[in-house]
Amino acid sequence: MELSSLLNFSPAELTAIRLSLKVALLAVATSLPLGVLVAVILARGRFWGRELLDVLVHLPLILPPVVTGYVLLLLFGRNGPLGRFLADSLGIVFAFRWTGAALASAVMGFPLMVRAIRLSVEAVDRKLEDAAGTLGASPAWVFLSVTLPLVQPGILAGAILGFARSMGEFGATITFVSNIPGETQTLPTAIYVLTQVPGGDAAALRLTVVSVLLSTAALFASEFASRRVARRVVGL
Amino acid sequence: MSLEVDILRRLGDFTLEARFATDGRLTALFGRSGAGKTTLVNLIAGLLRPERGRIVVDGRVLVDTDRGIHVPKHRRRIGYVFQESRLFPHLTVRQNLLYGRWFTPAAARREELDRVIALLGIGPFLERGPALLSGGERQRVAIGRALLASPRLLLMDEPLASLDEARKSEILPYIERLRDELQVPIVYVSHSIPEVTRLATTMVLLSHGAVAAVGQVAEIMGRVDLFPLTGRYEAGAVLEMRVAAHDERYELTTLKASVGELRVPRIAAAIGAPLRVHIRARDVVLGIAPPEGLSALNVLAGRIAELGPLDGPIVDVRVALDGESLLARVTRLTIDRLALAPGRPVFAIIKSIALDRRSLGKIQPASEKIDVDEITL
Amino acid sequence: MSENSRLHCRPSPRRRLHWVPFILATALALSTASAAAESRDVLVFAAASLKNALDDVAAQYRHETGKQAIISYGASSALAKQIEAGAPADIFISADLDWMDYLAKQKLIEPKSRKNLLGNALVMVAPKDSRVELEIAPGFPLAELLAGGKLAMGDTSAVPAGKYGKAALENLGVWAAVEHSIAQAENVRAALLLVARKEAPLGIVYRSDAAAEPKVRIVGTFPDDSHPPIVYPAALVAGSTSTAAAAFLAYIESAKARPLFERQGFTVLE
Repeated sequence: MELSSLLNFSPAELTAIRLSLKVALLAVATSLPLGVLVAVILARGRFWGRELLDVLVHLPLILPPVVTGYVLLLLFGRNGPLGRFLADSLGIVFAFRWTGAALASAVMGFPLMVRAIRLSVEAVDRKLEDAAGTLGASPAWVFLSVTLPLVQPGILAGAILGFARSMGEFGATITFVSNIPGETQTLPTAIYVLTQVPGGDAAALRLTVVSVLLSTAALFASEFASRRVARRVVGL
Repeated sequence: MSLEVDILRRLGDFTLEARFATDGRLTALFGRSGAGKTTLVNLIAGLLRPERGRIVVDGRVLVDTDRGIHVPKHRRRIGYVFQESRLFPHLTVRQNLLYGRWFTPAAARREELDRVIALLGIGPFLERGPALLSGGERQRVAIGRALLASPRLLLMDEPLASLDEARKSEILPYIERLRDELQVPIVYVSHSIPEVTRLATTMVLLSHGAVAAVGQVAEIMGRVDLFPLTGRYEAGAVLEMRVAAHDERYELTTLKASVGELRVPRIAAAIGAPLRVHIRARDVVLGIAPPEGLSALNVLAGRIAELGPLDGPIVDVRVALDGESLLARVTRLTIDRLALAPGRPVFAIIKSIALDRRSLGKIQPASEKIDVDEITL
Repeated sequence: MSENSRLHCRPSPRRRLHWVPFILATALALSTASAAAESRDVLVFAAASLKNALDDVAAQYRHETGKQAIISYGASSALAKQIEAGAPADIFISADLDWMDYLAKQKLIEPKSRKNLLGNALVMVAPKDSRVELEIAPGFPLAELLAGGKLAMGDTSAVPAGKYGKAALENLGVWAAVEHSIAQAENVRAALLLVARKEAPLGIVYRSDAAAEPKVRIVGTFPDDSHPPIVYPAALVAGSTSTAAAAFLAYIESAKARPLFERQGFTVLE
């Protein structure tokens, strides 16, 4: 394999990379607010069913990805109860769309995101919140002006974890939205397909390298940003 | 400012059942560790709910369990300075200071940033993060932050406890200025006698979750029966005196009151400035004849008013001095030898350097505003 | 000192701003939402074995008409189930009649557009440098030839190539002997790969697959009467919204596409 042919990305490959990034960004952007909410509920809530919620959130982490993908298909597929409802009333279609790939990524990455944020929430000193209360801040304002800023490192870490997980998401995606080039053929799926094509090794290798580089970059970014934010949060 | 408290609250094995009313510029909440001071203050602030009770500040009912009233903490307008400052680490000093102000309705804002900064001397580090400040600086910022929320009442929970002696002396004057220059009434929690005698007008004595006494500082400190609670080591009377003269040659200051004169090492205070002096009982020697040839400079004449319980080797004696009292601690042997009994004239002898400098506090009537330098000791 | 009075009201954490680029990036990504997908004209679900041939046809079609056909390859079984679940395919080309019938029964294809497109042959392949020699005949010693290795096939219960292969082996009376030595692959191309990579000493694939993969060689061809005829039906999917679909289907069936299929080892049916 010559180096020049090694670096020659075909349009299909570039599409897969772009699609992966797009899917990952949407997945994180939409699941982050919910992730923060759930993390706070799990960290601070005292209600019946809290343990159940915790288990539910962690399911995608421990179930086989194909199972998660299948459940998504049952619920959000064209004929699924939620899928039909969303398509009819809001015009949102997940089945075999890149939005479905984003949903699969969001679901698979959710437990990681929640764990990271929850750790941060638990580390917030309640005494600071008490102090904010005595200064006249209502509970909502305390959350927005004290708790949330102090949770930022966790939120950042959770977001990047979710992003990285999404870039590598395969099992649930291919089960739920299959493998349509340009629509749901993300980087991992593209690599998978290429490994089955005679002579596809060079392309598969290229995309593998890209995948590794993107993940590494994400991890570095996460370290850097998280350290900066953490320094600020500690008051330096 | 009037404060009425009548509450019951259980925390594990500990029960706090306190009932008292006080007004005054600075009320000290005094007691040993574990007496329930912080719990009480947290109840007043709204960080805890009582099981039963009533809390009224300036006629405004904050808590009344009978009527189901419990004003949430963010609406009580009660400032709170914590022992460990609790500054927000993600905000600069300036942002910390202004935090409470933002939530105060404009009409209610009384304090201005400039004045508070000047009062507390925190100008130099406005843009820093709290982590870069020393403990003393942090506490001053914490005080400023609470003030800028224009509270109706300021609670301070052992604000100096986590500081070393030098920092304490640094901050005490600021608290005195708070008490005298600002109109905010203060409830000051402490287990330190010098702080209490220096700062407080009224005092609530807490012990084992109940109120043991309420009243003027001097009066409570003089009560023999309260010694176990005020701390045997520190127990002693508080006298109110005025600066009469300075002796430049020997660097001494003379304090004068109706009970007599005391000479102490030079204090930086103007002539005529009122001072409170705490004299520990263990620093007082009793004599039945005017002393001669002694090194002690301070001799006060009076009569024995009462003797403490005559069990054990040590006995506390209250000596009446023209309307005020002084406490002395002697051995029971001495009582028998000198035939000390109520009514007997005696002389109280105090070493000049025994006077607790930290406790020398100036009390200004609200109407008088005297321009004195801070007392540098 | 009056600077201090000029206070900004909200003590907002300075870091609030660092979310902005994140949100901007998302908005950007979403706005470029229409990736290649939306600009496609036709979406085809085609059996995996058609990969090389159909890619050529689509490229030629694009060259001639400028219209873009996107093709998703997989096992006919998997594709049929996806169409059943609502996948937005316009054309379906299956590797056997069963799966097309499956969709027809649920009225998921346009019955009038259905046509038998291609034929193929079933072959046994081995890695290129393998020395194995065999002749496919009733009762041939397949189990010994495997010598403990696995026989790579498509999943024998669903994938057409697997079903054909099992039928052939049953008819030749050797299925029982090798039934437990099968490496079942998700589709016929995956089975091909197992042999190409020498993970399996032998495999059953289509003649067209063997033609596409230089790393395998054909060691035997299954007689046509040992298995149901291999027919690739093609049809328009019901409910397709593509206006170019019928045209592309016609193109696939036309003489222009014929050489591209035959080159890969398919037989074009009349």
